[in-house]
Amino acid sequence: MESNFYYALGHDLRRRIIKIIGDNEFSSFTALKKELKVSTGTIYHHLDALSQLIEQGKDKKYYLTELGQHAYDSLQDNIESIISPDFSKKEFNSPILKSLMFLTPKKIINYEKGYKIYTVIFSISLLILGLIFCYLNDLFPILLFFTNLFQSFHTTNLSLEIFFNVFFIINFLLYYFINEIICRLVYKKSENSIKFFLSFSLTFYPTIIYLAIRYLFNELYLLDYSVISILDNILMIIFQVWALWLLTFNLIVNKHLKVENALIISLIIHYGGFSIILALSI
Amino acid sequence: MNIKSIFDYRLLGLTGSILLIISQFFSWFSGYSLMERYIIATSVDISNAFLYLFPLISGSICLIATLLIYFKLEYRINSVIVNFVGFGFFLIFIFELIPQEIDYITSAGIGFYMSITGAILIFFHNLNILLTREKSKEGS
Repeated sequence: MESNFYYALGHDLRRRIIKIIGDNEFSSFTALKKELKVSTGTIYHHLDALSQLIEQGKDKKYYLTELGQHAYDSLQDNIESIISPDFSKKEFNSPILKSLMFLTPKKIINYEKGYKIYTVIFSISLLILGLIFCYLNDLFPILLFFTNLFQSFHTTNLSLEIFFNVFFIINFLLYYFINEIICRLVYKKSENSIKFFLSFSLTFYPTIIYLAIRYLFNELYLLDYSVISILDNILMIIFQVWALWLLTFNLIVNKHLKVENALIISLIIHYGGFSIILALSI
Repeated sequence: MNIKSIFDYRLLGLTGSILLIISQFFSWFSGYSLMERYIIATSVDISNAFLYLFPLISGSICLIATLLIYFKLEYRINSVIVNFVGFGFFLIFIFELIPQEIDYITSAGIGFYMSITGAILIFFHNLNILLTREKSKEGS
């Protein structure tokens, strides 16, 4: 029985026959021939091989047997998990991944049809907020890091001043293109570029919260206190890790990368960003 | 004897984090260890003193992350995320310290080089555990 089951599923045409019958609940020979576009003899050969999975009713139409129904269900599950492994619905045992998944706006990053507009609105709002908070904190963003190295660069040159102030958006575009190029060149993943782009600003969502908190600390002169100063550094690390997780999640659901590969991209770009800042500061 | 069994890939992380921890007690710049600088700084300016403890904190967190995969191999992704946090402390420390001490970098003590080696080892350890998982999956 078991070997018959796997033998029956071991041919693409037989899997297609089961799928056609399963999708429509039954199928006539003519409908199968029309759909499969192969010779009558070939269809009869494969129908014979499927004798335990399909049966012919009194109306001469083909139906799935109980075993055939199992085969159909199994094919459906496997095809769905192969084509789109839904990472957002995956259950994790570890408390770290559980909490990170809880903090991930899954429906906005991995949006479905009709919800695109909400992702776009959310992304634009985040970019504007990032721009404002960078300006208020007088910080210059480089990937997921923020530096005050360019505070001394304030000039009377308006175009240079505008460039520094809109660098949050330039940084967003730069970060997106680095990710996209690595996905395309290293992992040969060119799909969902628009979806990836639209939800990419979500990566900056935690860092914007950090900027808001830092602005609050600054306004209340709390950064002069040692405890708050240390807390500020620790918060930056935590929010950066959260942002890196969001980037990883985005790469997994939109670029269909494995968790390990997505983490490698996040890790390399993140430390690459740090090296740039260090080089600039020296 | 199989060399692979001795040089377990997790040793990279273990060595890296231990190097980071012990670098705290060796001289960095001007002949002082970070622990000594921490003690001196607490008596002068407590707000920046904690910064000198960051390599120690970073090494300890990375050590916990490495021990996590010694405990259970399935915790590799968790270990990388914890390493991200641990490594973050070191990055902030380096970012704050290097611009201040740039003039003395050529005469840096052994502690500085130990910490840099440790950080590089942790970075490669992270890459290694992510790539190793990939290989084992493909192999199965």
